[in-house]
Amino acid sequence: MDKLDVLREEGLKKIQEVKDSKILQELRVQYLGKKGPIQEVMKMMKDLSQEERPKFGQQVNEIKALLAKAIDEKKVELEAKEIDSKLENEKIDITLNGYKPNLGNIHPLNLIVQEMEDLFIGLGYSIEEGPEVELDLYNFERANIPKDHPARDMQDTFYIDVERLLRTHTTAIQMRVLEKEAPKLPIKVICPGKVYRRDDDDATHSHQFTQIEGLVVGENIRLSDLKGTLEFVAKKMFGEKRTIRFRPSYFQFTEPSVEVDVSCHMCGGKGCPTCKGTGWIEILGAGMVHPNVLEMAGYDSKKCSGFAFGIGAERVAMLKYGVDDIRHFYTNDIRFIKTFNRFE
Amino acid sequence: MLISKKWLSQYMDISDLTMEEIADKITSAGLEVEGIEYGSTATNLVIGEVVECEDHPDSDHLHVCKINDGEGMRQIICGAPNVRCGLKVIVALPGAKLPGGEIKNGVIRGVESNGMLCSLQELGVDPKSLTDYQKAGIEELDDDAVVGNKDVLGYLGLDDIILDIGLTPNRNDCLAAFAMALEAGAVLKKEVTLPNYEGCAEIGTPTKLKVSSLTEKCPLYLGKIIREVTIKESPKWMKQLLMASNIKSINNVVDISNLVMLETGQPLHFFDLGKLAKEEIVVRDDLNCEYTALDEITYKIESGDIMITVDDKPTAIGGIMGGDDSKIDETTKGILIEAATFNAVSVRNSSRKFNLNTDASIRNQKNIEPNAPYAAMDRAVQLLIEYADAKGIEETASNAEKKITLTEIDVNLDRINILLGTKFSELQVLEVLNGLHLQPSKKGNDIHVIIPTYRQDLSIEADIAEEIIRILGFDDLPSTMPVMPATVGALTPRQSLRRNLRSLLTRQGYYEAQTYTLVSEERLNDAIMPFTNHVELASPMSEDRKIIRTSILPSLLDSVAYNAARSMKDIPLFEISNVYSTEKVEERLSIVLSGSLQKCRWQKFEIKADFYTIKGLIESILESQGFKEERISFVENSEDCDHFHPYQSVSVYLGKERLGLAGKIHPLMAKKYGVSDDTVMCELNLEVLLNNKASKVKFEPISKFPQISRDLALVVKEEVKVADIIKAIKKLDRVIIQDIEVFDIYTGEHVASGSKSIALSIVFQSKEHTLKDDEINVLHEKILHVLREEFSAELRG
Repeated sequence: MDKLDVLREEGLKKIQEVKDSKILQELRVQYLGKKGPIQEVMKMMKDLSQEERPKFGQQVNEIKALLAKAIDEKKVELEAKEIDSKLENEKIDITLNGYKPNLGNIHPLNLIVQEMEDLFIGLGYSIEEGPEVELDLYNFERANIPKDHPARDMQDTFYIDVERLLRTHTTAIQMRVLEKEAPKLPIKVICPGKVYRRDDDDATHSHQFTQIEGLVVGENIRLSDLKGTLEFVAKKMFGEKRTIRFRPSYFQFTEPSVEVDVSCHMCGGKGCPTCKGTGWIEILGAGMVHPNVLEMAGYDSKKCSGFAFGIGAERVAMLKYGVDDIRHFYTNDIRFIKTFNRFE
Repeated sequence: MLISKKWLSQYMDISDLTMEEIADKITSAGLEVEGIEYGSTATNLVIGEVVECEDHPDSDHLHVCKINDGEGMRQIICGAPNVRCGLKVIVALPGAKLPGGEIKNGVIRGVESNGMLCSLQELGVDPKSLTDYQKAGIEELDDDAVVGNKDVLGYLGLDDIILDIGLTPNRNDCLAAFAMALEAGAVLKKEVTLPNYEGCAEIGTPTKLKVSSLTEKCPLYLGKIIREVTIKESPKWMKQLLMASNIKSINNVVDISNLVMLETGQPLHFFDLGKLAKEEIVVRDDLNCEYTALDEITYKIESGDIMITVDDKPTAIGGIMGGDDSKIDETTKGILIEAATFNAVSVRNSSRKFNLNTDASIRNQKNIEPNAPYAAMDRAVQLLIEYADAKGIEETASNAEKKITLTEIDVNLDRINILLGTKFSELQVLEVLNGLHLQPSKKGNDIHVIIPTYRQDLSIEADIAEEIIRILGFDDLPSTMPVMPATVGALTPRQSLRRNLRSLLTRQGYYEAQTYTLVSEERLNDAIMPFTNHVELASPMSEDRKIIRTSILPSLLDSVAYNAARSMKDIPLFEISNVYSTEKVEERLSIVLSGSLQKCRWQKFEIKADFYTIKGLIESILESQGFKEERISFVENSEDCDHFHPYQSVSVYLGKERLGLAGKIHPLMAKKYGVSDDTVMCELNLEVLLNNKASKVKFEPISKFPQISRDLALVVKEEVKVADIIKAIKKLDRVIIQDIEVFDIYTGEHVASGSKSIALSIVFQSKEHTLKDDEINVLHEKILHVLREEFSAELRG
């Protein structure tokens, strides 16, 4: 019986001391294989009496199972250690830079345009576009600016010939929309696009710039509707705390006409360099569509009214992001474009 | 428009308001005050008298002066040439703050100086309103100036405050001080009293003066002879009013013509009667001659320019400037007054052509109200009698009957309130209309108004609505949203395509650029897929911006060069823009890549600019828009080998339609633009995408059976095209070959020169069953056979 105890203790000890899974495997073969110490012990069985044999056999099997279990446990333990050490060897410098993909972005002016478009799509407006090479008819005549009118001085136009020009405002698109839709009501459109004026390029002037105009025509459209709509825009573009104010102004195609100021988003209206100390920033021109404009397009100005507004994308971007020179928008310095990598 | 506190104070009591308050109110009523200027801000001045004046011992132009400043004698060094004994002068005492700086006690070339003798310019007066004599030295005060008077600015009339008002084009009436006063009165709610001059010109003895116009551009010409006037200095108040409007005082008669222009908005011209060859004025616009005007510049007069002629001799450029030979000077005895209406457009064109803007031409370019010539004549006669002893006044001669009709309209308060979204009461509205002198009266449900002649901008109800809200203010205007049937907002297919492209390209790492539409002829010549008939401006501002581009790429390359010049190596840009010809508009997409698109250098990872980067991108773009591989073809570019690398560029087709050109830049083009040789680029016509139907997104069952891939390496002649090999393989089977991928191309060692080794991986899969080796082997053998037969391919193990 002593022999069995020795066998068990010796086996467990050896298994316990193993540090390598290869040796453990050898031990498994040795103890549980066909030619190991256990098999040796089994040979003693023939010397035992009939009565003793089952008990002995049972004891040997128990030792065998005990050792097998110890080997399995050791195996799990050794494997875990080996993985740990393998992982440790795979240690890297996590401070090295990763592969950071360049995410491109759209142009800041289109950022503003898309933002405005989406805002108005949400209000049920559709987006209308038109040709940049425009007819005098839509750019001026239909906008209530007849030939030789002094207001054309303000525009200073790139003419191509007597009839054609580079549009000076996206109002031209509105005039096309009115003509196309008359006499259907209502009209709710946003007209973004490039426009051109004879200006020398400098920090605040550009011969090419981007306008976004809006036009609503329906029954009993009121000046107060214009105010409500623009207040909504101002809050979305410049923050929920913004308020707006109207000042009387003059545009040929609207009457009454207003200049719209937004409370300064930099100082909240207290006065700062951005708003030149006034607390207000002039942001857009607007008004009620002039009855002549409606009539020329084929609407009965007694039966409908409308409002229109126009905003400069460059101006919005310059105010919103603090851009100091309008030429940045057209030189396409990648470092400049990269600044505007998200909608705000 | 400049209007000062003194000007306004003549007509109404504004003593209870500061100029800032007035400016605020006028601005909120639509006449934007762009600046508030002070006549002078100089401090610490006193009137003094020069008692002694000696030459400075150490200077050839300085004088050492002893000045009596009322409190004692002080020594001041003065460099003005006109300083002399007995002169009354403006003394800036030590501590005085002038626009140019502070005055301190000092020593000038060894002699003590305790103050400064001043010119008006040194006090901050605009040199435009000063004579050359005034500008050359110190101001010479009248003998009646009181020595020791410290209210020097008050004495000089420089204590005035001037508003600089920006007028919108509809309110040119406010160029006239009288109209401006009426407007201010309405805004400030003040009683306005204007001088009573009506009918002053209706006096006079019969005249022989004849005036006529041979052109329609002068519908009204009033001429009036005054045989005797006395030329002298203007009264101080008149000089000061002119100074506040930046107009130089010359003499009483000239000053009256300017003052009346400022008051009524009507430019007047006074001719020296004695210098006119004949008392007959003929206005014409059919002269071609040279004419030297008052400014001593000779202008080339052409048919179309309005000219005033006397005895067939040009005597003034109508509405713009008179001549030196008939101008008023100290010898003038009698005058001829001109008050005329000239065609505003014609004056504008001539004025622009001559690059000549005068106080008269600025006003005459705007439609001056029809009554202004009569009013100006009345006022001029009144002032000439009072301040120039006018005698021998003859009756006014005219080329037309006086015809003034007043516009009268009916407006409705309810309609106005609906248009504005307001609830103004009748009382409020009537008060506004009264304040604006529109003489409102009730007429049934309407209000009848009579528009004064100077308000040419008012003719319809909407105009009156604007008057009401601008005077009552926008503060009470509520915020509402339009009430109307629901509408659906959505993007058009074009707008969606544009947004999809932007999103796809930016996700790849490209940045969107925006370049100018107008380009130079040189850039036009570099157009990709150019139009034959380009659009050119009639009168461009510069050679660089004269043609509407027919292609985006040259402009985009300029942007790449801009970045490259600033040491940026990786430049991925794109732009979507319209291009134009005389017949059509095309929306295009242009992409340029220089350097690498993506990289991580230490990981040796890089997506470089090369032909295949741009080709693959185009394929992805097209697939993303629903145009499958089969519909796209890349054909060797034989049409544009000036801008593109002749062997690394392609013409891209969608079906049979040419979509665009793509590939590597030609090295000469790269050099010309200053971009790197590796630059790749493309320009695509988006109209082709919009005109072709995209395939529908449709689910295809995914095979449940395993896919098997076989690799294949073959050597072929270099000129064999990979696409042809793939096409040939695909032709053999359209059911189980799923994909053919090229995974290596090799030339060099172990491959005969003139040949290349291609490694392909072919993926097989059936939708119906698990493929057996035999099936694949049979097909594989067929593939090998075709490769050998059609491409003389040599198969490698």
